[in-house]
Amino acid sequence: MKKTIAAAFGAALVTATPAAAQTVTVALNADIRSTNPGVNRDDNTDAVVLHMVEGLVGYKENGTVAPLLAESVSQSPDGKTYTFRLRKGVKFHNGADLTAEDVLWSWNRYMDPKTDWRCRSDFDGRSGLKVEKVEAPDASTVTMTLDRPSALFLDSLARTDCGMTAILHKSSVKDDGSWDKPVGTGPFKFGEWRRGEFVTLTRFDGYQSPPGDKPDGLVGAKRTALSEVKFLVVPDASTVKAALVSGAVDVAQVLDTDVPELKKAANVEVGLFPSATKHTFLFQTRDPLLGNVKLRQAIAASIDMPQLVAAVSNGNGRPNNSAVAVTSAYYDDVQRKGYAYDPAKAQQLLKEAGYKGQPIKIIANKRVHVPSFNAAVIAQAMMQAVGINAEIEVLEWATQLDRYNKGNYQMMSFSYSARLDPALSYEQFSGPKDKQPRKVWDDAETEALIDKASAISDPAERQKIFDELHRRQMEATPLIIFANGQEAWAHAKRVQGADPWEGKPRAWGARVVAN
Amino acid sequence: MLRFALRRILMAVPTLLIMAVSVFVLIRLIPGDPASLMLGDLADPASLADLRQRLGLDQSLPVQFGIWFGNVLQGDLGNSITSSQPVLPLVLDRFWISARIVFVAVLFATAVAVPAGVIAAWRQNSTLDLALVGTATVLLSIPTFWLGLLLLLLLGLKLEWLPVVGYVSFTENPTAALLYIIMPVMTLFLHEMGVLIRMARASTLEVLRLDYITHARAKGLSESAVLWRHAFKNAFGPTWTLIGLVLGNLLGGIAVVETVFTIPGLGRLLVDSIFARDYPVIQGCLLFVAFVYVVVNLIVDLLYPVFDPRVTAE
Amino acid sequence: MKLPAPNAILGGAIVGIVILSALSGALWTPFDPLKINFAARLQPPGPVYLLGTDEFGRDVLSRLMAAAATSVWISLLTVTAAVTAGTALGVFAGYVRGWTDRILMAFNDALLAFPGILLALGLLAVIGANKYGIILALGLAYTPSVARVVRGTVLSLREKEFVEASRVMGNSEVFTMARHILPNCVAPLTVLATSMFGWVLLSESALSFLGLGVPPPAPTWGNMLASSRSFIAQAVWLGIFPGLCISLTLLGINLLGDALRDKLDPRMRGV
Repeated sequence: MKKTIAAAFGAALVTATPAAAQTVTVALNADIRSTNPGVNRDDNTDAVVLHMVEGLVGYKENGTVAPLLAESVSQSPDGKTYTFRLRKGVKFHNGADLTAEDVLWSWNRYMDPKTDWRCRSDFDGRSGLKVEKVEAPDASTVTMTLDRPSALFLDSLARTDCGMTAILHKSSVKDDGSWDKPVGTGPFKFGEWRRGEFVTLTRFDGYQSPPGDKPDGLVGAKRTALSEVKFLVVPDASTVKAALVSGAVDVAQVLDTDVPELKKAANVEVGLFPSATKHTFLFQTRDPLLGNVKLRQAIAASIDMPQLVAAVSNGNGRPNNSAVAVTSAYYDDVQRKGYAYDPAKAQQLLKEAGYKGQPIKIIANKRVHVPSFNAAVIAQAMMQAVGINAEIEVLEWATQLDRYNKGNYQMMSFSYSARLDPALSYEQFSGPKDKQPRKVWDDAETEALIDKASAISDPAERQKIFDELHRRQMEATPLIIFANGQEAWAHAKRVQGADPWEGKPRAWGARVVAN
Repeated sequence: MLRFALRRILMAVPTLLIMAVSVFVLIRLIPGDPASLMLGDLADPASLADLRQRLGLDQSLPVQFGIWFGNVLQGDLGNSITSSQPVLPLVLDRFWISARIVFVAVLFATAVAVPAGVIAAWRQNSTLDLALVGTATVLLSIPTFWLGLLLLLLLGLKLEWLPVVGYVSFTENPTAALLYIIMPVMTLFLHEMGVLIRMARASTLEVLRLDYITHARAKGLSESAVLWRHAFKNAFGPTWTLIGLVLGNLLGGIAVVETVFTIPGLGRLLVDSIFARDYPVIQGCLLFVAFVYVVVNLIVDLLYPVFDPRVTAE
Repeated sequence: MKLPAPNAILGGAIVGIVILSALSGALWTPFDPLKINFAARLQPPGPVYLLGTDEFGRDVLSRLMAAAATSVWISLLTVTAAVTAGTALGVFAGYVRGWTDRILMAFNDALLAFPGILLALGLLAVIGANKYGIILALGLAYTPSVARVVRGTVLSLREKEFVEASRVMGNSEVFTMARHILPNCVAPLTVLATSMFGWVLLSESALSFLGLGVPPPAPTWGNMLASSRSFIAQAVWLGIFPGLCISLTLLGINLLGDALRDKLDPRMRGV
C-alpha cells in the first residue's frame, strides 16, 4: 500500500513520458548562482553553465589543455602570440555561426570591468600576465598577444572558474548591457531556472561536437543523446541518498559514509572519481611555536598517512603528499615519495625542537563534502600519541576562511580547490606573506622556481622543476598535503555514461538505457 | 482606539530602528565577508578588491548604512550578494512558504487544543484532565527538530509513505506539494498542541474561578451554557495573545524544522545567508521578521478587547 | 505533612537524574567521551557499549553523560546571567520610570524581537565559538524576558503601602528596593528561571543542530543529534538517544516548573 501511494504521487512528480525518456536528473547540493559564465559563480554554477557554453580551449580528462572551439592553436616563435583557428560550422544556440567577431566581442566584454569577470586580473597585468592585444585577421582566426611568454596562458583560459572564457553570442546580453541568458555553443541550451529548485537544460540539436569518440574531460565527443537534463537542488545529503534510492534523482555526489549502503541498493551504482583538490594541514611558519621546522617535521612524522586518508574517505582514497595531483601527467616517482610514518622519529624531533607540551590549535570546519573536521580529529589523536598537545577549534567556514586569508592560525585543516597545472598548484600556497598573508610558503628560491615553471613550456624541464619543488617541500614542510580529492558519485542503473570530471557532473555523455 | 493603535505603531518605530542599526553593525563585526567567501580559496588580492568594490564593501560603515537605510525607506531592500536577486521579493517568497506551514499548523493546533484545554479545565483533576495535561507536557518537551527527524525516519524512510526530497511549490503540482508539507506541519502541530492545550486550560481555570461565573451559575444557567458562552470566550483572550507570540516566535524557530525537511523557507534563508555573509539578505530578513512580529502583536493587542471586554486599551 | 504533588515528584526525579548524570559526566564516565577508536565504529547498543558507539568509535553513553555536564553547566550559567542582568534592568527601569524607562524598554523590545540565531552567531563569531560565547549570547537573548517580568512586578508593587511607608520612614530608595520589592520578585523569578532553564537547553541544542552551538568534538546533545543525521540509516541509535535525553530533561523541568508554580504563585496555577 505504501509503495502505491508513493508511486501514484511519484507519477505526478516526474514528467511522465512514454518509452525510454531521455531525461536525466542530477542533484546539486545548492542552487546555482547565476547563468553568467565566470561572473557570479561557484562549483555548482560552473558545472551547469559549462553544459551550455564552450571556450577556445578546454581541459582534457588528464588536466592538460586541448583545443575546443579552436581547431588548432599555434604559438609564435617568441611565445608571445597565440593564433587560434576556429572550427568550421560551429553554431550558437540561436542558429548564428561562430565567427572571430564573436570571440572578439566576448573577450572585450570579459575585460570590461562592468562585466565583473572573475579572471580579469589574470589577463590585464595586475597578477603578472597581460594580454596586450586581441585581433581577428579573418572570420575564422583570432590572435592574442601577451606581454611575456607563459606556459599557463592556455590553462588560464580553460579554467572552469573563469567559465572556460566561454565564447558567447551578443544576444546573451540585453540591449542595456545587462545579462540575459547564455547563448553559447554547448550541447545544451538554457531551458528554465526555478530559483532554489532546479535548472533545466534542453538539447541543442544544432550542436557541433569537437572530434573524438567519447567524452574527454570537458572536450572530446560532447554530442548528447539526452533531450533534457534537470539539475535539482537537494541541499541535504541524507535526502540525496533517499532520492537516489527512490529514483527521484539519477546522478548525485554522495558522502563516503553512504557508499556501503548505496552499493546494496538494487537500482543504484556507485563509483569513485578523483579530483585535483588538495586536502592539507597548513602551518603558520611565522608562529613562534610552529616556526620551528623540526616541530613541523615531527608532526609530519607522527601522522600515519595511509590510515588518515583511509579513515577520512571511508577506505576510498589514497595518500598523496605532493602538490602535484595523482591524476596529473607530471606525477612521477619523485612526487610519489611522501612522509614516512615514524612515531619514534617524531618524538626525537620534538626533543630536538625543544617542544615542552605547549598547546597547538588545529582549526577545522564541518562543511559536508570536505574532510576538514574528520582529518583534524584523526591528526589530533595521532599527534597526541607522540606527546603533542593538539587541540581542535571548529569554526564556521566563513570565519575559518577569514583566518586563512589573514594567516591568523597555528595549524589548519584546509582544502584547496583544484589547480590542474602543477605550477599553479604550487603557486596556490607559495608567495610573499607580507603582501599576501594567506600564503603558507614564503621562500624566495621557491618562488623563483615556480616563476620559471610558469614561463617555460618544455614538459621535461618543468618536470625537473616540479621534482625539485617537491623535495624542498618535504624538507621545509610548510604544510602537509595528505590527499587529493576522491569523490563518490552514485547513479541510477538505468542511466549510463554520466561520470563526473573534477567534481563536476557531465550530462552530455549520459544516456538512459532502460526505463 | 485609534490613538492606541497609533501609539503602538509609533512605539514600534524606534524598536525597528534600533534593530536595523544593531543588525547592520553586528554582522559586519563577524569575521569573514561575502567577497572573500564568494571567491573562496581562489581569491587573489586583485579580484578580491574588484569584488569588494562592486559590492560597495570598500566604503565606510556609516556610508554603507546610509545607502542601505535610504533604500529601505523607499521600499528597496537591496540585492542578494550571492544570487543578485532583489531581497524583498526573495524574502516574501520564502516567507510565504514558511507562513503556509506555520499557519496551517497553528490553525489545526488551535482548533484541537483550545476545546481540549477548556474541557480539561472544566473537568479539572479528572483522569481526562490529567491525561490531556500529561500529553501536552510531553508534547511540548520534545524538541521540534528531533520530532521532525523521527517523523522523517518513520514515515519517510521506514514506511515510505511520504516523500523525502525537499519541496514542490503549489503552483507546479498541488497534490505533490501537499505531500511535502504534511510532515513539517505535523511536527509543528504536535508541538504547538502541547503549548496551547496548557495555555487554554490555564486561562479557562482562571476564568472559571471568577465571580461572574459564579454569578452566572447562580442565575441558573446550565453548565454547558456557562462553559461555552462565558468561559470559552474568555479563555480565548490570553490564548489569542499567545497565538500572536507563537506566530511571531515560530518565524525564528522554524529554521530547525526547515533544516530537517529541507524546505526553502524564511528560516533557512536566514541561516544560509548568515553562513554566506550575504549582508543584504540578512538585514532584509531580520527587518522583515521584526516587522511581522511587531504587526502581529499589534493586531493581537487591538483584537484583545474583542475577546475580553474587561480589558480596555489603556 | 502533605505529600508533594505527583508532578513535583516525577519532575524532581527526572531533573535529579539529569543533574546526577551531569555531575558524574564531569568526573567519571564508562569510557573516554573523546577518545577515538576506529575498530569500534558504529556499534549498536550491546554489553560493552551500552548505548552503542558513534562514527569515531566513541561510547554514546559516556558522551551523553559528558554532554549532560556541558548542557547543565551552560544552562545554569546562562540563566544566572540572564536573571542577574534582567533583574537589574527591570528593577531600575520599573523604579525610575520616565524617559529612562521608555528608552530601556525600547532596547529591551528590540532585543526580544532579535532572533536568537543571529545574536548567537554574531557574538560567537566575534568572541569565539565556545561555551562562554554561547552563555553570553543566550544570556543576552533571555535577559529581556526577565527584565519584563521584574519590571512588571516592580511597577505593581511600588505604589503599595508598605513601600510608601518605607520611604516615609526615611529609608533610601536602594534599601526600599532591596528590602521590600526584590523579595517579592523571587516567586515569579523562580518560576521564570525554571522555565528558562528548559528554553536555554532547547536553544543550545537547536543552535548546535544548526551548526552554531558548542562545537565538536566536545559533545552536547544538540551536536550529537546533528552528527547523527549522516548515519541515520545505518546507526539509528545515534539519533534516538540524544533526542530522548533532551526530551526527558525538558519534561522533568516542565513538571518541576509546574509544581513550583502551583506552590509559589497560586495565581498562575495550571499554566
